[in-house]
Amino acid sequence: MDEDYYSIDSILAENQKIQCTFKVDIPEMGHLDGGMERDIKALSKMQIPLWMAYILIYSDYADFTIPPPFNARVRNALNAEARSVRLSGLVGQGGSWYGFGKIIMQLLDDIPATEMSNILTKTFRDRLLEVIDQAQHFAALGSGGGVRSTADVTQMFREGLDSTERELFILAQESAKRTKKWYETSERGRR
Amino acid sequence: MALPASIRSSVTPPELELIASEQLVDIIPLIAMDKTAFISGAYGPLRPPAKSRVPLWMATNLKLKKKCHIVPPDWLCVEFLQDRLMRETSQAEFCELPFRFAEVAKVLLDVASDDMQNPDKIRSLLKDLREARQAKSREGLQKLDHSELSLPNFCSLEINEIRPFFVRAMGVLTQVSRTTQE
Repeated sequence: MDEDYYSIDSILAENQKIQCTFKVDIPEMGHLDGGMERDIKALSKMQIPLWMAYILIYSDYADFTIPPPFNARVRNALNAEARSVRLSGLVGQGGSWYGFGKIIMQLLDDIPATEMSNILTKTFRDRLLEVIDQAQHFAALGSGGGVRSTADVTQMFREGLDSTERELFILAQESAKRTKKWYETSERGRR
Repeated sequence: MALPASIRSSVTPPELELIASEQLVDIIPLIAMDKTAFISGAYGPLRPPAKSRVPLWMATNLKLKKKCHIVPPDWLCVEFLQDRLMRETSQAEFCELPFRFAEVAKVLLDVASDDMQNPDKIRSLLKDLREARQAKSREGLQKLDHSELSLPNFCSLEINEIRPFFVRAMGVLTQVSRTTQE
């Protein structure tokens, strides 16, 4: 999530493509699209990896459209009930929806960027409690795995966690487990 | 990142217990001992049946050798805890408890439950308190923002339990909020 050059999370978050519309002709670069064309024509649309898109957008060679994980349909769904949206489905398994969103936010101008930030923040808050609740619930079941009740809403939610939330889930679960273990064990023999 | 993942995010409960073991408790010694210097300070002399104030680690050690009775602290009794539990469940804030009450209570209940009246009741009250307070910290999570979080009277073990994911969650909020940038 952070901007550190060496941050693996940040590199992984960039592993997405966004749709760009070129403003100028670029000769001899048609292979980027994997197509047969030799040159990129102005106004042609192309899926560009995010890491390459930066430079194109900043140097004004291309414009981009808000990628599908953040389009109006998803926004409406998030507004209605953030917990029922499967973020992992939007960015692919192991993807970081928040990380992706943050990069898009930085590419945007003032007002849409603030809007984007609000969506990210609101979604994160709305889902956080459920993430932690479930993590603590699973820690309480013990490491044996316990009874798996499948095919319910909570399972759906867990599968829909993006990598950022997954990390939080693990942190909370580990922490609750440690504390539970401490409460349950006695160090009496060691004293 | 040479540390194992489990202790990278915060200290562990046994470490907190170790820190809490430096706190002083009253004991009624059953043996006599002169004033003795330890690394953390000089304690004693022990003159039965006079009360003496020693660190928790020393008290538990003596207790397990049946060389003292431990006088439980004022707050570790049914009436006090019942009162706190009442307050805890009736008001929105966390009520005031000794900062390391969970650790001290656990150690004392572990080794010196025979020096207390009604240890089982105390255990169940502590458990209820813990649950009531956990429910409140869960509410705190809802109010989380990127810059600050204030939970007065939150105790060391509780802070430690929520630290890893509260910190991470605040980190994420910092990343996605625009107000902090530039």
